[in-house]
Amino acid sequence: MSGGGVEELPRKEAFVLKGHEGAVLAARFNADGNYCLSCGKDRTIRLWNPHRGIPIKTYKSHGREVRDVHCTQDNSKLCSCGGDRQIFYWDVATGRVIRKFRGHDSEVNAVKFNEYASVVVSAGYDRSVRAWDCRSHSTEPIQIIDTFLDSVMSVNLTKSEIIAGSVDGTIRTFDIRIGREISDDLGQPVNCIALSNDGNCILASCLDSTLRLLDRTTGELLQEYKGHTCKSYKMDCLLTNNDAYVTGGSEDGIIFFWDLVDASIVSSFRAHASVVTSVSYHPKDSCMISASVDGTIRVWKT
Amino acid sequence: MDSDEEDFVFYGTPIEREEEVTSRKKKAVADASGLLRTLPPWKQEVTDEEGRRRFHGAFTGGYSAGYYNTVGSKEGWVPQTFTSSRKNRAEIRQQSILNFLDDDEKVELEGHSLGTSMKFDTFGFTAAELARKQAEKEQQQRPSIIPGPAPDELVLPATDSIGVKLLLKMGWRHGHAIKDSRTNSLYDARREARKAFLALSSDDKAAQHTGSDDVKGDLENVVELPMDNDHQSPHSTPVYVLNPKQDLHGLGYDPFKHAPEFREKKRSRLHEDKESANRKPLSIKDNLFAFRSGRVAPGFGIGALEELDAEDEDVYASGYDFEETYVQEIEEPTKQVVDKVKKRSGKEQGVLPGFKVASNSDYQLERFDPPVIPKDFVPCHKFPAPLDMNNRFSDAPPPEIPPPEDNNLKILIEGVAAIVARCGKLFEDLSREKNQSNPLFSFLNGGDGHDYYSRKLWEGRQKRTDGKKLELDGKVVSSVQKMTAESRGNILGERPLERTSKDLSLASTSTDVQLQFHLSDTFTKPESFNEVPDAAKPFRDDPAKQGRFEQFLKDKYHGGLRSKDSSGASDMSEAARARERLEFEAAAEAIGKGNWGKEISQSNQQMRDMSINTGLQFTPAGLEKVTQVEQLMKKMYPKREEFPWRPSSILCKRFDILDPYMGKPPPPPRLRSKMDSLIFIPDSVKPVKVEETAAAFTDSVSVLPPGSEDISSKEATGEFQNDVEVENVERPVDLYKAIFSDDSDDEGENSSPKQVEDPEKKIGAASTTLNRLIAGDFLESLGKELGLDVPPDLPDLENRTRVSASHQDTVNSKKGNVNILEVQNTLTETLSSENNRSGEVELGKVAQVDRHRNRASRSPEDERSRKRSRRHRRRSSNSDSETTSSDDYRDLPHSRSKGREKGSSREKSSSRKHSKHHKHERGDSLSRSHHGSEKERGDAKREKRR
Repeated sequence: MSGGGVEELPRKEAFVLKGHEGAVLAARFNADGNYCLSCGKDRTIRLWNPHRGIPIKTYKSHGREVRDVHCTQDNSKLCSCGGDRQIFYWDVATGRVIRKFRGHDSEVNAVKFNEYASVVVSAGYDRSVRAWDCRSHSTEPIQIIDTFLDSVMSVNLTKSEIIAGSVDGTIRTFDIRIGREISDDLGQPVNCIALSNDGNCILASCLDSTLRLLDRTTGELLQEYKGHTCKSYKMDCLLTNNDAYVTGGSEDGIIFFWDLVDASIVSSFRAHASVVTSVSYHPKDSCMISASVDGTIRVWKT
Repeated sequence: MDSDEEDFVFYGTPIEREEEVTSRKKKAVADASGLLRTLPPWKQEVTDEEGRRRFHGAFTGGYSAGYYNTVGSKEGWVPQTFTSSRKNRAEIRQQSILNFLDDDEKVELEGHSLGTSMKFDTFGFTAAELARKQAEKEQQQRPSIIPGPAPDELVLPATDSIGVKLLLKMGWRHGHAIKDSRTNSLYDARREARKAFLALSSDDKAAQHTGSDDVKGDLENVVELPMDNDHQSPHSTPVYVLNPKQDLHGLGYDPFKHAPEFREKKRSRLHEDKESANRKPLSIKDNLFAFRSGRVAPGFGIGALEELDAEDEDVYASGYDFEETYVQEIEEPTKQVVDKVKKRSGKEQGVLPGFKVASNSDYQLERFDPPVIPKDFVPCHKFPAPLDMNNRFSDAPPPEIPPPEDNNLKILIEGVAAIVARCGKLFEDLSREKNQSNPLFSFLNGGDGHDYYSRKLWEGRQKRTDGKKLELDGKVVSSVQKMTAESRGNILGERPLERTSKDLSLASTSTDVQLQFHLSDTFTKPESFNEVPDAAKPFRDDPAKQGRFEQFLKDKYHGGLRSKDSSGASDMSEAARARERLEFEAAAEAIGKGNWGKEISQSNQQMRDMSINTGLQFTPAGLEKVTQVEQLMKKMYPKREEFPWRPSSILCKRFDILDPYMGKPPPPPRLRSKMDSLIFIPDSVKPVKVEETAAAFTDSVSVLPPGSEDISSKEATGEFQNDVEVENVERPVDLYKAIFSDDSDDEGENSSPKQVEDPEKKIGAASTTLNRLIAGDFLESLGKELGLDVPPDLPDLENRTRVSASHQDTVNSKKGNVNILEVQNTLTETLSSENNRSGEVELGKVAQVDRHRNRASRSPEDERSRKRSRRHRRRSSNSDSETTSSDDYRDLPHSRSKGREKGSSREKSSSRKHSKHHKHERGDSLSRSHHGSEKERGDAKREKRR
């Protein structure tokens, strides 16, 4: 765990990972933070070692742009989704597609594994969240949630909940344990949601260029973070691994760090030449990766 | 051995001679033992199998013919297998006679063939040819590194031929013609004379004489013309300029094979590109074939079977240029470039110190003479559609003609002439063909008014070319051969498309903004927004605001290409802007619906009402209330709602969680209907349903008399709690049913014996009339919602409502206070409560209110807004379903089942099979009334899916 001071924030560029042709739409650390995955408009998923700055493997099978990718806890499987309306379930080592889940009526925006890597949950432009079973050979969704009124932009899973944010302005928490849906209406299209590491708060990136922090138990608005630009594109936001800062990209290529409590901008620096589509924070160290439309992924360290 | 022999009995006597046999045997034994093998070959003797020597003849080998009396060889015969692989080619042995000849015999043979030696081979022909052929032959025989025959050009005679040597001795140089310079002048003189003679003879003499002369002359021309033409360097023979291969075509492939005129163009453009690469900034411009609406992401195509649609547009590319953008070919008129090239080439003379440009260079383009023109050639080509009109203007203009008397004809002629002048001769031909039979168009064929027509046509063309020439002049002069698309278009009279011309002008400064501007301009602006009709100017009184509104409309349809700072008014605060935006949004939606005229007044009215109630004014740029609004926003959002949600059992299993619904039947549908929330609003549980109440509000607001509101609300407060407890209310559904279903159905119900116990008339007269009014209004909106025709005549409607009302009174007599009026009462109650609550009503909500209003009058085709209000709909439909299925039937089986055979069985089954009642209720509602069928279908589907 990093100490928490401002100087501890990853602001120095350690590596530039180049290889994607065209926009990189998402970059994600794996569970232990030793590797990272990226996907982009060139229809590929790439596996990198961000600490040495080298590409490891390229996964090609998608027919259109890849919008999101996620890796299991044990690093053995991948899931990815994108413009071809399918969710791909990959074997990491061989690079083969184990299964393709078809069913979304439109582009799929986000995808996540659950804790046991037995279910893939995807969120799509077709206003639905679908859960897919990895254990059985069925390619039918085991659950379709279609209470959303507009495109679902991002999805997050806890041990017993599915949380998804939608352009209709709501963040909906589907609690499997008690069988209830809790809808928090923010009144602004929700671009991306991120969970705090303690699991008590949701950070939502809204399209009015505001990040909003919600208390999950009460649905209260805790804080708003402003200063960046987020109006048109799907962009990521997140909390640092010690929950001390909120970070996110901007459409002008700048990465911002806000103080969690008083919402002041503690740091901002130009990271990319263009829209910062995705940011991902190392689970333990003070290290961050950011992906951009300019085709690069940059590794930031202190 | 002796003992052995003793045992044998011999009959007769053996003939063999003892000594011979023994000697031979001895030798054979010696052979076998290898004694002889050590001897040198010439000492060895050849014997047959019995050891006898064989004598072949004194001159044919003696005792040893062939190879030691065999047909073999020293090496002997070795068994072989024929193997030939790709790596190891088997040698092909071709036997020729030479293989079997001795050296002296070969010498003999050689003497018979004669040939010039290399040395005296004048033109390097025979000997070299022989050598080459020999080489070729050998080439074929032996495997070579280069497969196939070697090209002849590679096998060249090493030395110059004697002829060349002689010529060189005489002062000839390579690259010069073998010709005396004197002959040139001589020929010239002779030719001149011949010409003069020919001219004379053709004048004087008959044709048969010239015929023979022609041939002669032609022949001479053939010979002479070459000398005539290369006046620049009369002594040189053409040397081929070898162009280095720079393209990526296959060897020998000529892309300009059938269109050589483009070759030069291409070359010049390449040149320009190289020239301009350093100087010109990279400008990006859509070329003719590029994807117009937005840019496709660089580097990735899509499959052949996929369509290129909006998904493939590169949303990110709008404002940002990639480094790896490629330069598209710029179809710019390159006059200046060419000029510069020329200037530079002029300047470059003597650039290299110590060198000067050769007066005559070896590198001359080969020029061929023009073909000989036959005598009978008519120098006039008839084009099917002579497009190149510029050339024709050189001929004298037709004389001024007075217009024909017929005014119509005059106008027609002028019109046609104008069009033809613009569009070219082709149009004339076309129209001529088309109107062949039409006497009016006879002027095209030289009939009436043809002269006038030709005059007009000439005038029109003159006018057009005059304008064009001005701009063309410089261009044409400077770039004689290089014809850009534009100039060609000009010459051909093509009119450049509006857009491309604009693009051209902007290409030089093509910034993102302009790209954006173009894109939005050409693609996303719907026609209706090109000019907002005067009626649709909601902010007429405030021109600045109206301007912003129009800007907003434009931006709205830009899609992802929103310019960020377009919201104008920089003096406005963020919140004021947000509020104005909401206002705009509402206004835009109303315009989009196309019923702005009447909507806006209502919504304005409504806004005013609300603002009065809330104590806030919708004044333009009302800055003073900003903070309050923001706080309100904060108070409103985030708002939390909870619904039951049933995870599938397998999902629970996979998440390792006990299914909370395990063993339970599927969850009942949510109570989410519009009416439900209106009727059973327990304020503590339900969040403020602003939009719903507002929606109802708009339905009833116009007809609500202020006095009755009080009454009804008072009454409603009394009855409200009862309703909640009883949970058994006659919904207005029956009312709709009564109105929309057949009369016979109604009568059947009415005539059925009812358990009329005590029709309590609790409600006063005022509220009944109010009732009817509201019901009518409500019905109208409902009818609109369902896309049904609402009977326009009010009296009829009132009658029907009255019928239904009374009918309901009778039907629902069991619970006396349960009545249709509840609905209205509660409705107005919620209304008034909302008005009282007005402090909480948030300003920004107006937009939503308006949206919902629109939805209330939803036309069946606007699917989109319907989808957005899905939850909304579900509520209302559920109320319908419940009324029709559960509550209704639970209470009234006795009243209905007797009279209505048709419906009763279904109803019962539906009430029994509670879980399946969706389908039934759909069927019911379909059969009994037209209402809600569509909605419920969607709803049922949804429910099934969950």
